[in-house]
Amino acid sequence: MSTEVAAFRQVSKSYGAVRAVNGLDLVLRPGETVALLGPNGAGKSSSLDLLLGLREPDQGSVSLFGGSPRAAIEAGRVGAMLQSGGLLGEVKVRELVKFACGIHPRGHHPAKVMEQAGITDLAERKVDKLSGGQEQRVRFALAIAGANDLIVLDEPTTGMDVSVRQQFWAAMRAEAEAGRTVLFATHYLEEADSIADRVLVLHRGRLIADGTSAEIKAKAGARRISFELHPADGAAEESVLRALPGTVGLDLTTRPDGVRSVRIRSTDADAGVAGLYRAGLYPRALEVTSLGLEQAFLTITGEADEESAR
Amino acid sequence: MNTLVQLEILRTLRNKRYLMFTVLYPALLYVFFINAYGSTDTVAGGVSVKAYFMVSMATFGAVGAVLTGSAQRISLERKSGWVRQLRLTALPGRAYTIAKIASCAVTTLPAIVVVFVIGAIEGVSLSVGQWLGLGVALWLGSFVFAALGVALGYAAQPDAVQPIVMIVYMLMALLGGTWFPVGDSLKTVAQFNPVYLYNQLATFVQPGQSLNLTAVAGLAGFLVVFVAGAAFLYRKDTKQA
Repeated sequence: MSTEVAAFRQVSKSYGAVRAVNGLDLVLRPGETVALLGPNGAGKSSSLDLLLGLREPDQGSVSLFGGSPRAAIEAGRVGAMLQSGGLLGEVKVRELVKFACGIHPRGHHPAKVMEQAGITDLAERKVDKLSGGQEQRVRFALAIAGANDLIVLDEPTTGMDVSVRQQFWAAMRAEAEAGRTVLFATHYLEEADSIADRVLVLHRGRLIADGTSAEIKAKAGARRISFELHPADGAAEESVLRALPGTVGLDLTTRPDGVRSVRIRSTDADAGVAGLYRAGLYPRALEVTSLGLEQAFLTITGEADEESAR
Repeated sequence: MNTLVQLEILRTLRNKRYLMFTVLYPALLYVFFINAYGSTDTVAGGVSVKAYFMVSMATFGAVGAVLTGSAQRISLERKSGWVRQLRLTALPGRAYTIAKIASCAVTTLPAIVVVFVIGAIEGVSLSVGQWLGLGVALWLGSFVFAALGVALGYAAQPDAVQPIVMIVYMLMALLGGTWFPVGDSLKTVAQFNPVYLYNQLATFVQPGQSLNLTAVAGLAGFLVVFVAGAAFLYRKDTKQA
């Protein structure tokens, strides 16, 4: 698609000696729901700050809707909910939402926004008297106060309980279905797995994976084959195990009694297991399990760590 | 931007502690001072105690209102992230500061008016033009301190800003003629104290005096300095956030 919602071009940003964002190259396209994953300190919040123009990159450029982030915000095309974004005290929720709708160039009706964010029952409460999860929903209301084309959310469901979280994502899906582009950073990998149609994995300021959650899982080796090899069944070379089709990772430990416990990450578990028998091995306690996005994520970031250690 | 100004004014008027400190406290002090000094006496070369402290308590309340109203709130709201949140809206960056100063300006009015009303009841006698002129002069003068408050709010963290504001406020009041008239020996130093100059704005209501243009010029100078400081600190803060 020719249109770009947002683009990072070779963006780097350092804080003192810490390189928070390192050569980030990324394009968001209209209508995508994109999850931004990464361990703490991976540069997620920094990237979002750069995207929204709250900070300037040291190198490279960031554009939103073909212009500067500030221009996009002033045109009312972007709504954002940041972890670091505070709320105003001494006002009622209704007043704050009304304010947000009032200053938005394409503002919605406050009652509609409160309903969407699920805070209609909180309208008359003072903002300072809200729980963490309620505050998050008010922040969300501020992010959807107008007809934005892009919604940016940083760890939106932190502090929400399970039922509220579900309600939140239902509201978010409605936004996405209305054709808006959604970018959210999250700790909860099941959220990324079930909601996002594109997953970005950020690690040490670098983008180390970019694809659908299925593709990310495949990249990590989507399945795990685990079994034991007993000495009584004959010897087996490690190289034989490594040569099995689809193997992307091998973890081998030998117990004191000589039993070797093998864990293989594989992109093709069927062929891998068939290969085991073909090689004349006798795998005991054989198990094939699928990796969740969480394990895939740990695998990918772990590999990136190994690479940088080398 | 008007929406933000309205919201800020609403918040300020809702804050009871703030109103107590900036409106009630100077009014009570005024009553205390005119009783302590003896209400028929004169100070500072023939000004009646009632008139003198009416002005000094009005300025005391006004300075308190704008300093705490801007400095503490800006500092707290920088920390809480509200300032960042506003940067994600279509409002221009200066709107926040302007709204703060505007809401301060609204709250200085009750601080001035309440003390004036007590003064009038106690027998301070001025012409309608003098009352209005005095009110407008004191109200306009308070903007100098609003700018100082904005600068302090961007300069310090919330835990530091309260003592800083208090020290600046009390020192300026102490040496500026708020609680007792400035003696001749201190007058040279007092020329560099904005609160002293602020109090001097009121001298035109005394017989045979016109508006103290030196004080006006001095306050204008302070305004320029404070606005420049506030603008510099604001830009610095924007780069960090």
